[in-house]
Amino acid sequence: MNPSNKKKDAAMAVEIGGLKLKNPVMTASGTFGYGEEYADYVDLNQLGAIVVKGLSLKPRLGNPPPRIMETAGGMLNAVGLQNVGVDVFIKEKLPFLRQYDVAVIANIYGESTLEYSQVAKKLSQAEGVHALEVNVSCPNVKKGGLSFGSDPKAAAEVTRRVKAETHLPVIVKLTPNVTDIAAIAQSVEEAGADAVSLINTLTGMSIDLKTRTPHLKNITGGLSGPAIKPVALRMVWQVAQKVAIPVIGIGGILTAEDALEFMIAGAKAVQIGTANFINPRATIEIIDGIRHYLQNNKIKNINDIVGTLRT
Amino acid sequence: MAKDIYMGEVAANEEIQIDYFLMKVTLPLSFSEPLPGQFVMIRIAGLHDPFLSRPISIYSYTRGKSNCAIELLYRVVGKGTQILAGLIKGSQVEISGPLGGSYSIDHQKKNIVFIAGGIGIAPLSLLAEALCRKDCYSAAAMTFYLGAQTADAVVGLNRLRKLCYNITVCTDDGSLGQKSLVTKAFQKDIKKYSPSDTVIYACGPKAMVQSLSKILDGKYFCQVSLEERMACGVGACVGCVVAVKDGQGKLAYKRVCADGPVFDLQQIIWE
Repeated sequence: MNPSNKKKDAAMAVEIGGLKLKNPVMTASGTFGYGEEYADYVDLNQLGAIVVKGLSLKPRLGNPPPRIMETAGGMLNAVGLQNVGVDVFIKEKLPFLRQYDVAVIANIYGESTLEYSQVAKKLSQAEGVHALEVNVSCPNVKKGGLSFGSDPKAAAEVTRRVKAETHLPVIVKLTPNVTDIAAIAQSVEEAGADAVSLINTLTGMSIDLKTRTPHLKNITGGLSGPAIKPVALRMVWQVAQKVAIPVIGIGGILTAEDALEFMIAGAKAVQIGTANFINPRATIEIIDGIRHYLQNNKIKNINDIVGTLRT
Repeated sequence: MAKDIYMGEVAANEEIQIDYFLMKVTLPLSFSEPLPGQFVMIRIAGLHDPFLSRPISIYSYTRGKSNCAIELLYRVVGKGTQILAGLIKGSQVEISGPLGGSYSIDHQKKNIVFIAGGIGIAPLSLLAEALCRKDCYSAAAMTFYLGAQTADAVVGLNRLRKLCYNITVCTDDGSLGQKSLVTKAFQKDIKKYSPSDTVIYACGPKAMVQSLSKILDGKYFCQVSLEERMACGVGACVGCVVAVKDGQGKLAYKRVCADGPVFDLQQIIWE
């Protein structure tokens, strides 16, 4: 590597709770599978991190179809955390990811605090997992998920239990379906979270006029895509003012400009979700776009723009 | 990295019957030759409404010196297909693919039976073409049952006639061919086809496939291509699932895009 490349790359590096990332762009859980689904389109080595599909202790069947519906500027989903389970992930999916020089963040889910801690323990012992993202915000499951994330005490309890089982940085992924998201963020920060990521999807629904039935079998689902970006941006800004730990911005990011807005609002890194579906190379284009923005505006380091909103 | 998103150019986009369109898209030669049953995700370059790409199965493929071309046969059913229908020659479209798995064609069976409902003719036509190209024996062994609601909804018949000698056309109202459901027309002939000597390929509306499943009763080897709403098309979003029996006979949700779109009919679990 020539020195100018090295310098260029140093300008893009960020650190999240001790985890060093090449750049601030990660994939959002549930939108990038286990990495292999997009490996034909994207050089995974170039990503800041890969956040894998939410993992539970046992494999989960997920919700019956139909699971998705397109809406204005986005989509609803009610997948219900279908996943292979933590053991199969470690055995069959992780070896693939270990071939790459990229941070792997395992998103974890449990129906009880005990289950969260058990999944955390297993992943902490596995080679090739660099951080955990605790999903206390899935709107599409009956037990766990959002019920932990909408109560500051329950969110803190899950955070403590996971922290007790792992040496890895712990990111807590927050739901927007609450009155005061900053209060939840503060609560998990006190409980030891190393970072927070937000937002997960907003609950919504859509109806078929011909049949007068919901488009989703689950009736309600989680809204994602550019439609939710302004809400996400507002929440990231609010949370970033209230916590000292890094904030990871998520919600409707399609372009480098979108990502930069989140960073100016206070996000130290971003996750790209639904954009992957319409453009498999979205992450790479966003990374390139951020790099160009820094060069064009003579900004030496990406960290220099984090939380620089002028009000 | 092996796959890419291709910028395609609309070479033609004609309404061949009311609400049915045939679009020809030219693509770079790096777009691989599709297998019968595979599909593409298509979107209008730079447009974010409709937000998602649309999955459409590949109807034909031709390769020239400087580019290749695919044809997509589609029916206007919603916002996405309506906008596709409005594209004029020269429009730019983003295509990713070919995606998904294909029909398996290495069966040396005496009878090759196709059962298509409406637009379901598209992947089966590509399959029939592939079989014809493979050997002339296949061409003689093929029988095609094509059904639609009315004569206006029968598409692709002329092209099919060049590939297959035995075609039974059915419409719900009798406006073309037999007045019958396509599955009923096949059922009348079923004695001609012994399960051990027959392979059946199907594609069509859910009701047709479900009724076929009852008629075949697990006795025939039958592959069916399914359709579902999709977001990513590559297996990541897990949105387009269908209920199937897994290896142990238990319920599992498989992705139509990545695990299908072609499934063994016997695997599918009906509600």
